[in-house]
Amino acid sequence: MKCALCGLEFKEEEGVSRCRGCPLARSCGLVRCPNCGYEVPLEPKFLKAFKKWRKRINETKR
Amino acid sequence: MRLRKLVIVGGPNVGKSVIFNSLTKRYVTVSNYPGTTVEVMRGKAIIEERKFEVVDTPGMYSLCPITEEERVSRSILLREKPEVVLQVVDAKNLERMLPLTLQLIEAEVPLVLDLNFMDEAQKLGMKIDLSSLEAQIGIPVVGTVATEGKGMNLLKKRLGQYSKKDAQPIKYDRIIDSSIKEAKDLLKGEYPISKRSIITLLLQEDPEIASLVRLKEGENYPFIKKTLEDVKNRYSHPMNYVFGLYRQKKASQIADLVTAPFASPKVGLGERLSRWMMKPLTGFPIVLLTLFGLYEFVGVFGAQISVDFLENIVFGRYISPFMTEWVRRIIPWLFLQNLFVGEYGIITLGIRYAVAIILPIVATFFFAFSFIEDTGYLPRLAMFVDRLFKKVGLNGRAVIPIVLGFGCDAMATITTRTLETKRERILASFLLALAIPCSAQLGVILALLAGKPKSFSIWAGVVALNFLLIGYLASRVLPGEKPLFYMEVPPLRWPKLSNILSKTYSRVEWYFKEVLPIFVLASILIWAGKITGLFDLAIRGLEPLVQGIGLPSETAVVFLYGFFRRDFGAAGLFDLTRTGGLSGVELVVAVVTLTLFVPCIAQFSITIKERGLKTGLAMVAFIFPFAFLVGFLLNLALNLLGVKL
Repeated sequence: MKCALCGLEFKEEEGVSRCRGCPLARSCGLVRCPNCGYEVPLEPKFLKAFKKWRKRINETKR
Repeated sequence: MRLRKLVIVGGPNVGKSVIFNSLTKRYVTVSNYPGTTVEVMRGKAIIEERKFEVVDTPGMYSLCPITEEERVSRSILLREKPEVVLQVVDAKNLERMLPLTLQLIEAEVPLVLDLNFMDEAQKLGMKIDLSSLEAQIGIPVVGTVATEGKGMNLLKKRLGQYSKKDAQPIKYDRIIDSSIKEAKDLLKGEYPISKRSIITLLLQEDPEIASLVRLKEGENYPFIKKTLEDVKNRYSHPMNYVFGLYRQKKASQIADLVTAPFASPKVGLGERLSRWMMKPLTGFPIVLLTLFGLYEFVGVFGAQISVDFLENIVFGRYISPFMTEWVRRIIPWLFLQNLFVGEYGIITLGIRYAVAIILPIVATFFFAFSFIEDTGYLPRLAMFVDRLFKKVGLNGRAVIPIVLGFGCDAMATITTRTLETKRERILASFLLALAIPCSAQLGVILALLAGKPKSFSIWAGVVALNFLLIGYLASRVLPGEKPLFYMEVPPLRWPKLSNILSKTYSRVEWYFKEVLPIFVLASILIWAGKITGLFDLAIRGLEPLVQGIGLPSETAVVFLYGFFRRDFGAAGLFDLTRTGGLSGVELVVAVVTLTLFVPCIAQFSITIKERGLKTGLAMVAFIFPFAFLVGFLLNLALNLLGVKL
């Protein structure tokens, strides 16, 4: 994913790991950029599945 | 026979993979770097009749890694002893990318620099003098348009015929340079990169490098550590920040020297807009315009059309009457009926607030916010606000948590950890608790004041004035140095609808998951409070205060809601206004007071966790009477001036 504030590209897990010390970390659905701290919500599972499905369809077409 | 190794490094999206493919053509393998999930591509190539193993590394911004990808890229550089390292940069963003070049030169890696996307840089009117750049940094420099194969032959030639030259590393200040010299003499082991670079990474508290030095230096390590600790103590900012500033300054100097004035006097609209957004004179109207756009979109579309539909039709005609009838039929006890469908019932208050009021407002707000975010305006806003902050003596780096506060104040309070001094952390947490409305609260406030531009201007003016005044006074009470602030500003871009919709959905889902249980819990607590009499007691305690600021006693309940969540309070106010419970002046006074009012439970608990009980309570002890004092003064001023809203 790409941070909307500083432009850093990072993996979801790296953003989540940044929040380990936070008391809300378990229930929170936000990912924090490891560079500047900007937070973005986690992509819902169904959206991820949808994007994966579209990618597969596109690859099959090619 | 061991092949010579050529490692390609650089930031993401600079065209590394195109160059990798162009060099290797085939025999490519992709595998995870040992112990990680990061993929690394390796291929074979014959360049200038010499055989190479070419490694395409994941994107890296700095030699001091933050992400796993960067860690892997650095590991490859340290462990695989490359014969040549090719750094690919985006020619358009030369100034932003040169700091890594300076770090690699300092590390004494055998470096060749490739400026890719030269065509795009030219289109922007940039003219880069490659030979001058080569002379400035002392390493081979090539310009390419890799996608079209332009410059690739020369690049191959420079790579194939590479022979290492001594390039001059960047110079820092006297303290750092002399301490590097001193500490270098203490290092006895052999290192894969220069000792100078090892020292700078140690000063930046790089854990991997610290382990490496501990291993190599053994008993000598504590002494080296102590020497470097003494250096760090002489700076009030973290060393990676200090080094970052020096490198960026040097990079800007070099970029200025080698980039000729724009060939065409015409600067693109995007670039011009970007500059306007950050300049005080033009930035301010742009902020106002953005806020006005938000206000119109959220206020009219979100608050009027969508809320009307959901509240009056969906809830008013169907859900509430049906559920009331149903609950009354199956639950014979009035006190238990009230838990679900009473004045403060879970369905008629908690769920109605969450679904019929908050959801449409927040969804439209998040849509507009995602649009703004996708354009790349936020980093520019941060730069603009930074300038404004400095003018009133505030800390520039606090911009990030403050900007984040417009999303969620509780989360932003956690981000204040990244601020270096205690003073900065207290100031930022305090301002977040006092004057920064979270996204949901801001959305509801925009909706409340929709169609009332005068009221909106008064609210924005009073809150901004409080923020600046209190920030200024607090920075005087808590003296200390004001650190510099810089951040990378990615280019402006056209927002993509798919991105905006995806982000809006993600945010609404996250928000709804978080807010609904709290709204339900608040309804239950209020119901329990009603039964035990505690609720009425709290209301009676708040009534004199709200009456004191010229508001009807019914607004006391709104402030009580605000304790649970700021947006819950704002939703209560929205509800009260729709039933005609407040005049124009009363509404502005209530909205201003509620914005400044004590933080919600989540933010309060995090403030206590982060800043300690004493500081957290001191903040609330100030904010609570202060919010009402401002409300009182505003009410007085509006009435004395005979303002009609």
